Amino acid sequence: MTIFLLTGIMISTYAMLVCQRVPALIQNFRLQSLFLFLVTLDFAFRQKEAGIFVVAGLLLLVKVVLIPSFLNNLVKKIRVDERLGLFLNPLLSLIAALFLTWGASVFCSWFLGTSPIAVFAAFVVSITVVLVGFFIMVFRMKALTQIVGLLVMENGIFLLASAITGGMPFFVEIAIAFDVFVCAIITGIFMYRINKVFTHIEVHRLTDLKG
Amino acid sequence: MKASLLLLQAGFAVLGAPLVSGFIRKVKNALRMRRGAPLGQPYYNIVKCMAKEEVVSEATSWIFRWTPSIVLGSTLAALMFVPVFSFSLSAPGMGDVLTLFFLFSLGRFFLALAGLDAGSAFGGMGSSREMFIASFVEPVAILSVAVVAGHSASPQGGLMACSMGMSFSGMVAAAALFMVVLAETSRIPVDNQETHLELTMIHEAMLLEYSGPSLAMLETAAHTKQLIWFSLLGAILWPWPVGSSAALSDIAAAAAFFVLKIILCAVIVGLTEVSLAKMRLFRVADFLGLAFLFSVLALVISGLGY
Repeated sequence: MTIFLLTGIMISTYAMLVCQRVPALIQNFRLQSLFLFLVTLDFAFRQKEAGIFVVAGLLLLVKVVLIPSFLNNLVKKIRVDERLGLFLNPLLSLIAALFLTWGASVFCSWFLGTSPIAVFAAFVVSITVVLVGFFIMVFRMKALTQIVGLLVMENGIFLLASAITGGMPFFVEIAIAFDVFVCAIITGIFMYRINKVFTHIEVHRLTDLKG
Repeated sequence: MKASLLLLQAGFAVLGAPLVSGFIRKVKNALRMRRGAPLGQPYYNIVKCMAKEEVVSEATSWIFRWTPSIVLGSTLAALMFVPVFSFSLSAPGMGDVLTLFFLFSLGRFFLALAGLDAGSAFGGMGSSREMFIASFVEPVAILSVAVVAGHSASPQGGLMACSMGMSFSGMVAAAALFMVVLAETSRIPVDNQETHLELTMIHEAMLLEYSGPSLAMLETAAHTKQLIWFSLLGAILWPWPVGSSAALSDIAAAAAFFVLKIILCAVIVGLTEVSLAKMRLFRVADFLGLAFLFSVLALVISGLGY
C-alpha cells in the first residue's frame, strides 16, 4: 500500500518537470501534497499515534487546500504570462531528474544497506523530491516557481523525516507547517511587490539589478 | 482440460471486453453528472454493425479487405500470452512477452496500411499519427514489461509476476505502462474516443472507411486489446497469484479477482480521462518521454535489487 502512494508522489514529482504553465505546476504540487497526506495517514494508522493524525490533517489543510489556492489567487492577481519559462526543455529536465533519482538510489543502497522495500522506496522518493524541488528553483524563470520549488523541497524533507526517524516531534511538525504557510504568504506578497515595481517576475532579469 | 480452460478464458475475455469500454464510459458520464449511454452500448454497436451492409471503396486493394481479420486474429492470439485469470492458464511453450508486442505491431502495421489504402486524407493522417505514437509506445512497453519480467526472473508473459510480489521497480514500471495504456487504448491525453471526424483523432481516423461487419471486427479487436492491456497492467500492479494451480475453485477465485482488477483499472482510467485535457500531438512526445523515463527508472531500481 505504501509503495502505491510513494509511486504516486514520484509520478507527481516527475510530472512537475513536464509542466509548462504555472497553474499546472501548482496543480501538480497539490497532487503531490495529497499523496504525501495519504502516506502520512497510512503511517499514522500503523503507528497509532494521535499526534501523527493531527499532523496529517494539518498537512491536508495547509498544503493541499490553503497554499495552492493562495498561489492560484496570486497568479490571477498579478496577471503575468502563464508560461513558466524553461531554461531546460521538459525532456532534458526529465533526463536530469532521472540522474538525480539514480544518484539518490545508489546513495540509499550505500547508506542503508539492504532494507525493506518500503523504507528504500521512501528514502529514494524523498531525496528525489528534494533534488527535484531544487532543480525547479534553478531551472525555471518565473520567481513564482521559487516558492513552489521550496515547498516541494519541504515536502521531500517531511517525507524523509517521517520515513527514516518515524516523524519529528509533534510540536516541531506543527511549527514547521505554520512556518511553511507563513513563508508561502510572505514570498507571495513579495512576488506581488516585485511584479508591481518591475512589471515582471522573471528571475534572470532580476540579476541586472546588481549593477 | 487445460486447452479447454484456455479457450473458455479467451471466450470470456472477448465477450467481456466491450463491457469494460461501456463501464469506462459510464464512469466518465457519472463524473460529469450525465446519464450517458447504457452499459451495453458497445454490444449494441457491434450487433448493429454485424447486421449492416458493407461498403468497400473501389480504390482499395486486398489489404483493406484482409485487415479486419488480421487485426482481430492477432489480437485474439495476443490474448493467449497475457495472464488473464490465472497464470497457469496461458499457452505454454508458444512464446514470451515479446511475441505479445509483436502481435500488436502486426495488427497495427496492417491497420496503418489499411488507413492509407483508401486514399482519403483522414486515413493517411491517422496512420501517420498512429506510427508516430507507436514509435514512442513500443520501447516503453517492452522495457517496462522486461523490467518486471527480469525482476521475477520469468520472461514468459503468462508466468510473469507470479513469483514476484510487490516491488518498487514493478510499481514504477506500472506507472510507465499506465501511460502506454492510455496511448494504446486511444484515451484522452493522446487520442479521444468520443469524437469522430475531428482533426485530432488517431485510431478512429484509420477506421473511417470501414463499415458493417469489418467495422464490428475492428471494434471487437480494439475492445479486446484494451482488455489485454488492462490485464497486463493489473498483473503488474496487483501481482497476487491467486490460483496458480489449475484446480477449478482456484480458477474461479482468480476470475473473480480478475474482474475486480479490471474494474479498478477502468475506474482509474476513467478518472484520468476526465481530469486531463487532450494534448497537442507534439506534446505527446513529452508525455510518452515521461513514460520512457519511468521505465528506465524502473530498470535502474530493479538493478539495485528492489
